[in-house]
Amino acid sequence: MTVSQAIGLCPSLTLWEPDPVYYDARFSSLLLALGNVSPVVEPAKLGRAFVGVDGLEGLYGSPREHIDVIKRAIAEYAKPGMERLFSARLGWARGKFAAWVAATRAKLNKAVIVADNTRIEFLASQPIAVLQVDPDTHKRLWQLGIKTLSDLRRLPEVAVVSQFGKEGRRMWALAAGEGIDPVTAMEKPDPIVVEFHFPNPVADRAMLTHALERLIERALRHRRRIGWRVLEMTVRAQLEAGTSWNSRITLKDPTADRHHIAALCKSRIEQAPPTGAVESLALEFTAFARGTNELQLFARDATSAARAGQQQALRTAVHEIRTRFQHTGLYHIVEIQPRSRIPERRYALIDYEP
Amino acid sequence: MNHNQLQPLNLPRSVNVTLDSRGYPVMVTDAPLHSPAVQLRTPVSEDERDKEEQYERCTSVEAVIETWRVDDEWWREPISRRYVEVVLEGGRHVVLYEDLLTGNWFIQMA
Repeated sequence: MTVSQAIGLCPSLTLWEPDPVYYDARFSSLLLALGNVSPVVEPAKLGRAFVGVDGLEGLYGSPREHIDVIKRAIAEYAKPGMERLFSARLGWARGKFAAWVAATRAKLNKAVIVADNTRIEFLASQPIAVLQVDPDTHKRLWQLGIKTLSDLRRLPEVAVVSQFGKEGRRMWALAAGEGIDPVTAMEKPDPIVVEFHFPNPVADRAMLTHALERLIERALRHRRRIGWRVLEMTVRAQLEAGTSWNSRITLKDPTADRHHIAALCKSRIEQAPPTGAVESLALEFTAFARGTNELQLFARDATSAARAGQQQALRTAVHEIRTRFQHTGLYHIVEIQPRSRIPERRYALIDYEP
Repeated sequence: MNHNQLQPLNLPRSVNVTLDSRGYPVMVTDAPLHSPAVQLRTPVSEDERDKEEQYERCTSVEAVIETWRVDDEWWREPISRRYVEVVLEGGRHVVLYEDLLTGNWFIQMA
């Protein structure tokens, strides 16, 4: 339904503009909250995440208790007073596919638990629509009379592979309950710490701010930071009297923009300055969100912005490799005669220039 | 090597093929496919070649998907090939062809 159709049907309709940056930030917070339940958290797409609970039975107990812990983590992640706006469907099963299907069958704020001995039976009863395949494949499956996963599972694997190729193999394995796809922990860089030792203790705020700006630049240039935006950071200082000062800053919108980070640090120092002269100053980036750049001027959404950032990082990396080795050794595949009956004439490699 | 040149992908590799009475492949010897790009870029040492030879194996053909014939380019370097697209044991899709000028068989990705 288009927006104009919706307004036609409901003139009092209130329209909300999408806020992709806010969605990204909330999802990052949710992932952080789930990270307190298990170290193995995999974001699948915006709003969908998998939590690996293998080996956590001793800590949390039964699957029902796992679910309760996750529910509590979700409740903590929601801002106070807004809990009812943050609802989730939860599914527990062995393998991501079965867990996701279980979650889609759950009611709001409820969970569906699929025990291992009932997993194959549970999957067999599901409609073919639970397979995430392209619409053409769905259409072909329907045309072949395959309407449930059990219909697919009853066919010989070789026949499905012959019809659908690699995707057919994956579909058949999922339908047969053979494809136990484990949760892969999201890649999270270790904290980045940069320090500055003053030759003489410094109390002047302008000098501290200046030193902090240099630290921010150094930390942002760190190779582990490439591809990530900063979500949380801590500024620490060792003071002359042997005491210390620290300030933890959580960014509302993850960023890799040094001016933005510097402005936050500066305002924090002005609000609650160190209580003595500073001997050494340290900056630590402690949490990150995916993406490398701010929203580009013409980026449609956060994903486009992140893609633009990745492209920039790629260009830099390619430039560095070429400077060092004369050529990059990176190629991309180009179509030459994609419909040729001679397979080696269809595609070729050409040097990659991002 | 000129790095701005196009390099063909999916170059065919020589294999031995056993045929049934109708001339369709039933067995392929040395089925593992090595990426032609890797072959182009990475010189293979004698040791590695020996190691690769240890992995040579016979793979049976599970299904024949399609056959076609190409006769072309008679005016320069003639091409005369009989192609057979097959599914190998384990489900891998490959294309086999017989060079009708030499009688040799080759394998490449479908």
